[in-house]
Amino acid sequence: MPTTPPPIPPPTGPGSPQDVPPPRGSVPIDPATLPQPIRDELQAPDPVAIDTSAAELKDGLNRCPKCGSTEIRQKPGTDLLICQYCRHEWHGEGVEEEFGLGEGIDQLQGTVIASGAKDIKADTASLMTFKCPGCGAEVTVNTANAMTARCHWCRHVFGVNEQVPNGAVPDAVLPFHIKKDDAVARISQFVDKRRLFALKAFKEQFTPENVVPVYLPYMIVDGNASAAVAGHGEIETRCYTQGSDDKKKTYYDADVYQVERQIDFTVDDLPLESSSERGNLDTRANTNNIINTILPFDTKNAVKWNASYLAGITSEKRDMDVEKLRPRLEDELLSIARAQVEKSVSRFDRGVRWEQEQLSVHGTRWVSMYLPVWLYSYHQPGPNGGMLHYIAVNGRTGETMGSVPVEQWKLLMAALTVGTFLEAIALFLVGHSS
Amino acid sequence: MSSDGGMWLLALGPAGATGLYWALYRYYRNTDKSHDFEHETAVVAKPVTGSERDQKVDEVKGTQEKRISGDNVRQYRQRVKRIQGDSG
Repeated sequence: MPTTPPPIPPPTGPGSPQDVPPPRGSVPIDPATLPQPIRDELQAPDPVAIDTSAAELKDGLNRCPKCGSTEIRQKPGTDLLICQYCRHEWHGEGVEEEFGLGEGIDQLQGTVIASGAKDIKADTASLMTFKCPGCGAEVTVNTANAMTARCHWCRHVFGVNEQVPNGAVPDAVLPFHIKKDDAVARISQFVDKRRLFALKAFKEQFTPENVVPVYLPYMIVDGNASAAVAGHGEIETRCYTQGSDDKKKTYYDADVYQVERQIDFTVDDLPLESSSERGNLDTRANTNNIINTILPFDTKNAVKWNASYLAGITSEKRDMDVEKLRPRLEDELLSIARAQVEKSVSRFDRGVRWEQEQLSVHGTRWVSMYLPVWLYSYHQPGPNGGMLHYIAVNGRTGETMGSVPVEQWKLLMAALTVGTFLEAIALFLVGHSS
Repeated sequence: MSSDGGMWLLALGPAGATGLYWALYRYYRNTDKSHDFEHETAVVAKPVTGSERDQKVDEVKGTQEKRISGDNVRQYRQRVKRIQGDSG
């Protein structure tokens, strides 16, 4: 029986490629009205491109491969894990080699998300309970700030190794290299250079030994993009002075050019804060820019997630999904493109005014990672809850940056004294010249 | 020295005081610091294209400005009008 082909959709208007596309992940009809098999298919979670979960550690116990003890720690200053009973040492698997994360960035298409970077499920709790296989007791871990806990009866150590859907378990972790003594020394040195105008209460309470190790959540992004910028540039053609003595003025003539540049580029391991609080770099309200400044980390050396690296170390949970971070990534990619084209416009010696920019992101790969930071914090009282000042040390490279609260009146006095001195010299010169 | 030059010198005191205040404040609080991702990220770029299409469109005569107005060639983070491209 001849069948009539379905009508060809018009090239413009509703339902055509010219129409505004529906939001990502949305379905035009209510799935509840559809038959069960279709509903199941529509509502099934999107496949994850790279599964980084560690199935062998799912029961929460990470056992020493030699003696079976769960008393496992990171050996300070190295990436090794060490058994506290038999002293056996072994290295975590490098996430880069295991999942091929450093390869094929120029071939990336679409959005590739590792399993630890999946969207956070809103209804999942932070608390995880384990049933201890040794004694049957229930052990609870609060994934908002800790990833390991000890059974208070039989002393088994539990770690959250299963990738829970609340964003607490990333794909990879970069172990601490800088030891506490080293971090304390760096923070002391940083503050010692800033004592003269520091807040009196800060100096009195300053105890660098209170520095704490924290794992902060980041998304490490590889990207394959093209960018184009357009604007105007000027080249100086003549420079001349008119007038005499103090009426002398310099004038310039210049040619104005229409300038356009395009660039194709890839970025490898761009770190983005995946905690909305840490990602807020408003320096009027907080000092998170201090933690941002100690980036980058040697993320190529990150190891596959294993909670044993976090024994005794607090952590902060991720609360940002890939789609929420995408505008931030695009902003940074545009900035990188602008930096890359700068050399190609060096002949415009009077500068360039970019007026338009365009970005096409061909492909991205997102990996969720915990990065190690030593943090010293000081709360300065004041209006609106005061200000929390951080001094942060990169747990891998030792790069240190901080915010030291200032004693305003001292600083004002110094500025006024210097200003008065300069004014006296100026008055002297003016007086002798007239 | 003329009276004009002298008047200009009188600004030295307030300018010095403000300059010192801001310089010290920034040294302590580091509010101007952030991760220099433009230069510290591993970027592999193909050669920049478009220089062959640079076109002279106008001339400026007798300006006292040392740089083009709105110069943002080094202000990478200052966003300008975004023309939408496709993003994957």
